[in-house]
Amino acid sequence: MKKRNLIFLVLAFIFVFTLSGTGVWAADDAIVIGVISPNTGALAAYGIGISTGADLAVEEINAAGGILGRQVELIHTDDQSDPTECLNAFNSLVAKGVQLIVGSATSGCTSAITDAANEEEVCILSPTATADSLTTEDDYIFRACYADSFQGAIAAAYAKQAGFERVGVVYCAADVYSKGLFDSFSKACAAYGIEVAAEQSTASLDVQDYTNQFNAMVNAGVDFVYAPYYYDVVGPYVVPQARAAGYLGIIMGADGYDTTPDYVVAGADLTAFNDVYWTNHYDPSDTSEIVSSFVKAYEEKYGSIPSAFGATGYDCVYMYKAAIEAAGAVDAEAVRDALADTSAVYECVTGTFSLDESGTPMKGAAIISFSSDGQSVSAKLVDVVSQLP
Amino acid sequence: MSTFFQTLIVGLRLGSIYALIALGYTMVYGIIRLINFAHGDFIMVGGYTVIFTIPLVLRLGAPAWVSVLAAVVVCALVGMSTELIAYRPVRKKGTNMTALITAIAMSLFLENLAQAIPVIGPNPKVSTQIFRAGGIRFGTVTMEYTTIFTLIISAVIMLVLYTFTQKTRLGRAMRCVSEDKAAATLMGINVNHTILLTFGIGSALAAVAALMYLAQYPKVYTTMGGLLGLKAFVSAVLGGIGIIPGAMLGGIVIGLVESFTTSYISSSMADTFVFLILIIVLVIKPAGILGKNVGEKV
Repeated sequence: MKKRNLIFLVLAFIFVFTLSGTGVWAADDAIVIGVISPNTGALAAYGIGISTGADLAVEEINAAGGILGRQVELIHTDDQSDPTECLNAFNSLVAKGVQLIVGSATSGCTSAITDAANEEEVCILSPTATADSLTTEDDYIFRACYADSFQGAIAAAYAKQAGFERVGVVYCAADVYSKGLFDSFSKACAAYGIEVAAEQSTASLDVQDYTNQFNAMVNAGVDFVYAPYYYDVVGPYVVPQARAAGYLGIIMGADGYDTTPDYVVAGADLTAFNDVYWTNHYDPSDTSEIVSSFVKAYEEKYGSIPSAFGATGYDCVYMYKAAIEAAGAVDAEAVRDALADTSAVYECVTGTFSLDESGTPMKGAAIISFSSDGQSVSAKLVDVVSQLP
Repeated sequence: MSTFFQTLIVGLRLGSIYALIALGYTMVYGIIRLINFAHGDFIMVGGYTVIFTIPLVLRLGAPAWVSVLAAVVVCALVGMSTELIAYRPVRKKGTNMTALITAIAMSLFLENLAQAIPVIGPNPKVSTQIFRAGGIRFGTVTMEYTTIFTLIISAVIMLVLYTFTQKTRLGRAMRCVSEDKAAATLMGINVNHTILLTFGIGSALAAVAALMYLAQYPKVYTTMGGLLGLKAFVSAVLGGIGIIPGAMLGGIVIGLVESFTTSYISSSMADTFVFLILIIVLVIKPAGILGKNVGEKV
């Protein structure tokens, strides 16, 4: 009797696992889109933004009747902002037969899956991976954000516009994103006739102390420092330590500064965050119809203002929708061809744009500044730049 | 000249943290000859405890640093449970090598366990201000009070630990266990209790280190123990592992090397030089700066 129970139990388990493994539980003819994002780990705020944004878009699309009359379903995977985990997540999605993928958030992770995606002929549409090298012509890699060559140049253009002739840079030499922005920033500085008077780097993104680097900026006598890092070090380390080292000029960053106000030290002197500027994909206080309805829907569902990662995650799903409808099919090759069409125009939350030959949108950037009364840090829009001067 | 002082201060700031963590490594190693790789993760446990208890402590009207008391208790419990659940059974059956591998496994286990707890989660957490900002000004540079506190606390702990192991009954028992477990048992020393106590003290030190770390670098995340623990371990080895004053010396040397490399050689090569220095010192003096070259001892 006991033995028979055991055999029954084992069989039941096998049955359940086989069912879930082959995806029998999924709706019959749903269009499956995989999402790879850093839902845990140091950059979890990005992953949460992307997956909630994508979820919201799918909910809206399904409520409106789906794509080509079929419902859409997302499979979320987590890369922990680790390139190896990103490749694992990619392989697990491919093993499930997923052909369309949204991801990943960072350039470092996304660069780990581009070759595999081209080999497996699976579409990758990254919401926020900005490194220039990621997308090329004739490949399966696309994105919903501008590239670093544009983002770094915008910062240089801003420095020029504000009248700075000598600037400094503090960046991470070992990170694709930080190094890429440094490269494009210094290239643009050369073009605009701005002198990069001091260059300092850090060996990894785990470094805790930036005092010596900013001390070098003070010694070089610069009043504008470009410091492309991520929010998890900008809030607790970079900005307060820069001020403590006596650097009082402008600190400029990039889209990695998004969500910094949630990662500042309560009780410390937060006026350190005055004169901090950064470039971003969109501005949530934009009053246009598409942005305000997105922000309203997101706030209703999740109770917070969407970050740029929420916006680009949302846009990615809608870009796939547009491409699938243009192609009239859901296989990777047809969608790829539709995305590669440079004449297609996407009306998105982060702007109305077409993709260039490499698969990167041609769109503007918002320049945002932090300001603080000492108690908390808030962000406000300074300018929207759509073209480089 | 101001660059020199600034660099020196940053070096001392980093070094004081490494020294405080290295004391925990060296203490456990000195007694049971085990490199407790999970020690870095005890810092993480302490860090989260501090962050979660600060709001309660502030509500009671006490200063934020009082939360270290909770951290000391939690860390000591975690450390002793680690010994009871993982290290003791393995030590009974296996060799030194298996114990070492268990320590690495324990470290990964703690990191992943922390991530799985919903209130901790994967997101980094930023602490509130622990000590009042400010410090002593030398010309244009400021030496923060926190750095000075950390150095003083490290020195005091070093002295207390040293006196404890040299002069007290329990300390003597610890040294006996370290030299010869069988003989210690014959002398009426309860070896298992002594080792458990060592873990309790070592882990409590991690809680203090976590508080001082947070006071200067106010961010905790589940994998923070990795590189931090590694550098502290290097400090302990550099100073002479198992030798209590060596841990403090090693920590400060590593902090200074890191800082001066950043300022004067190349800011992206700081870690390279830290480990290069380690190799050079170990080639010249395998037992570490303060270590004695006694064949059997290590």
